[in-house]
Amino acid sequence: MHFEPGERRAFLPRFTANLAKLGVHLTLEYGYGSEMGLIEEDYLRLAPNIQFASHHAVFQQEYLLILRCPTDEDLRLIRAGACLISMLHYPTRPQRVDLLQSLGIEAISLDLVKDDTHRRLVENLRAVGWNGIEAAFKVLQSTYPPPGFGSSERGPIHVTLLGAGAVGAHVVQAAIRYGNLALRDHLASNDIPGVLLTVLDYDTTTHKDIMTSVLAQTDLLVDATQRPDPSKPVIPNQWISYLPEHAVLLDLSVDPYDCDKDPPYIKGIEGIPQGNLDKYIFTPNDPAYDLLPTCINSEHRRHAASCYSWPGIYPKECMGIYGRQIQPLMRVLINKGGVENINPRGSYFERAISRALLSRWHKEERVV
Amino acid sequence: MSKPKTIGFPRMRKESGEKRVFLPEFIQYLVNLDVEVFIEEGYGSRSGLTFDDYRRGDESVRMVSRQQAFQQDVVIVLRSPTLDELPMVKPGSVLLSMLHYPTRPKRVATLKELEIKAISMDSVVDDRDLRLVENMKAVAWNGLEAAFDLLERTWPGLVRPDNQPIHSLILGTGMVGKHAVEAATKLGNIERNNDHLEAGGPGSLAISIGRNITSQPEIMKQLFNQADILVDATQRRDPSRPVVPNDWIAWLPEHTLITDLAVDPYTLDADPPVVRGIEGIPQGNLDQYIFQSDDPVWDKTVPDSIPSEHRRRVISCYSWPGIHPDACMRHYADQLNPLMKILLQKGYERLSPHSEYFERALYRATLRSWLEHGFYSPRPR
Repeated sequence: MHFEPGERRAFLPRFTANLAKLGVHLTLEYGYGSEMGLIEEDYLRLAPNIQFASHHAVFQQEYLLILRCPTDEDLRLIRAGACLISMLHYPTRPQRVDLLQSLGIEAISLDLVKDDTHRRLVENLRAVGWNGIEAAFKVLQSTYPPPGFGSSERGPIHVTLLGAGAVGAHVVQAAIRYGNLALRDHLASNDIPGVLLTVLDYDTTTHKDIMTSVLAQTDLLVDATQRPDPSKPVIPNQWISYLPEHAVLLDLSVDPYDCDKDPPYIKGIEGIPQGNLDKYIFTPNDPAYDLLPTCINSEHRRHAASCYSWPGIYPKECMGIYGRQIQPLMRVLINKGGVENINPRGSYFERAISRALLSRWHKEERVV
Repeated sequence: MSKPKTIGFPRMRKESGEKRVFLPEFIQYLVNLDVEVFIEEGYGSRSGLTFDDYRRGDESVRMVSRQQAFQQDVVIVLRSPTLDELPMVKPGSVLLSMLHYPTRPKRVATLKELEIKAISMDSVVDDRDLRLVENMKAVAWNGLEAAFDLLERTWPGLVRPDNQPIHSLILGTGMVGKHAVEAATKLGNIERNNDHLEAGGPGSLAISIGRNITSQPEIMKQLFNQADILVDATQRRDPSRPVVPNDWIAWLPEHTLITDLAVDPYTLDADPPVVRGIEGIPQGNLDQYIFQSDDPVWDKTVPDSIPSEHRRRVISCYSWPGIHPDACMRHYADQLNPLMKILLQKGYERLSPHSEYFERALYRATLRSWLEHGFYSPRPR
């Protein structure tokens, strides 16, 4: 994956070896996994038949498996009739869908592989919640006022969570444990008060009087909302002024800014920068604030944590999980002799794959 | 026995409010896997289902006596049969049920002694130790729905006299706890929540806490003073000690509802004895899950040795998913379908921990695996 340098994720040797055992010809790009400290021999030791090739040659294969969607430029390298397996997010990326279709590419969007109860089979929302909370608490430890974060004299830490959906559910578990079990154990063994987590549904956040009193007591504010209207922030920038100076803002929704839209799209917490794996912590005077689009009000600031790919903070753990989730899908795909033979009324995993196929994606399902 | 050819469905003879039965769609799914199905006479009648609803003209579905339903190659019943009923299962047959190996040592011993090839639905876990047959969402949502229903009788429209949001205090942040948080922020029912918000209602706040707060009485007193609903969703490390001693209940406002989602029993003859998470509250079931403070049943279900002087209204049910039986059983059938396909293809003995996804999950739930390894069960986190 060629994204920011902090993006180190690659599928692990155990995963590629299991794929090779299924009798397919595997090609990895030169240097695959090197950002995670892996070398070609790590892959070859478990599967000697794996071949290494150039970026261009890899994109010429029949099936292309890559976690984050390639750039438009790279998508154009894929040959017509090939199948791209990636996190493609059809509902919110209509231009990407149009491009793939115009190139004659079939695709399986990993984020849409769902079972009969609509449960995602390829997801790491737990890591979104836990990694984000862990990063935010690291910041809070440095900003917390006297007697200090590690003092038994302080009161409980007040975390406010906006949104109680799939990501929010993991935040509930992570926040109570500071996102880090060792830290939790250390503080608990020293009789230091724990965390009080207040959770509000998205709709409740429109009550300004309720929100101002909640924000005034908040040490860590977490945005895990899924907004129906991305032009309306959950926390307008002016409300940030109600937070204590030491408070930390955590962005788990990672919605983008877009001033070209009318009205403009705004992040859930208005006025915080969008981070990535290279940089995801921002102090109030960080130069990143000056680079925000001009349509965004960022007058009121606190320390902020934002990352487009929270699971990528711990790349090996992340790819271990994705590998285990994707493996049965690949087995079915290979055993069936290709994506064209996937039966929407077939086995459990066939049905799940079928729901994620670009060729079965209907434009009317788009949610922008 | 190699591949099972027959499946029996005995009725659950529990409280009369227990209406859950597997639905006709699940029976038809099994018949299409080339087995004969034997259902006990009267199966589903409490839900208005008839034998014809199950049979749908297919002669592979037969109505039999209770004894005969228990005598098939595979016996499927959601809640475990009693120890007295287990001998009806043939030695060598498969029993698929919620068997709870870790907390039911007597049941495990009996299954072993009777040579029953048990598969515990609650122990079917994937490679990440996540349960594949579970309905914890229904535990939380049904419990909170009942709590908000009752609170609405006190405050019509769920609007507090001071127009502030309803405060739900949730103890425990495990699987049930996190579903409870979501349910509490939506007043236990999405439709009601939408109506409430459309009418300009202030909504609900869920306050979630873990062990590092519940162990601090001073903080708990402040939180209890503000709680409209107190939810126990804890998984205690030491079930011999309550999370909330009975004295603390006095800190709750009179109108507060205690909602029990943990439903641990009082088992005072165990060593060490097991007590409930919130001390002195009764345990309900599908026949009665609402208890007023002066309910005469209170003293019948709480042992004399347990302090119960301080009381508030309690909502407690041993089987929360059973409140909405059809939705519950559709959910379980969706989860069981791929597992049944494997079980009927391979049989019990040939299940392998090294095979494909669902087979591995099924293997972990076998009594054989439990007796050999013991660790294949959902571990408290």
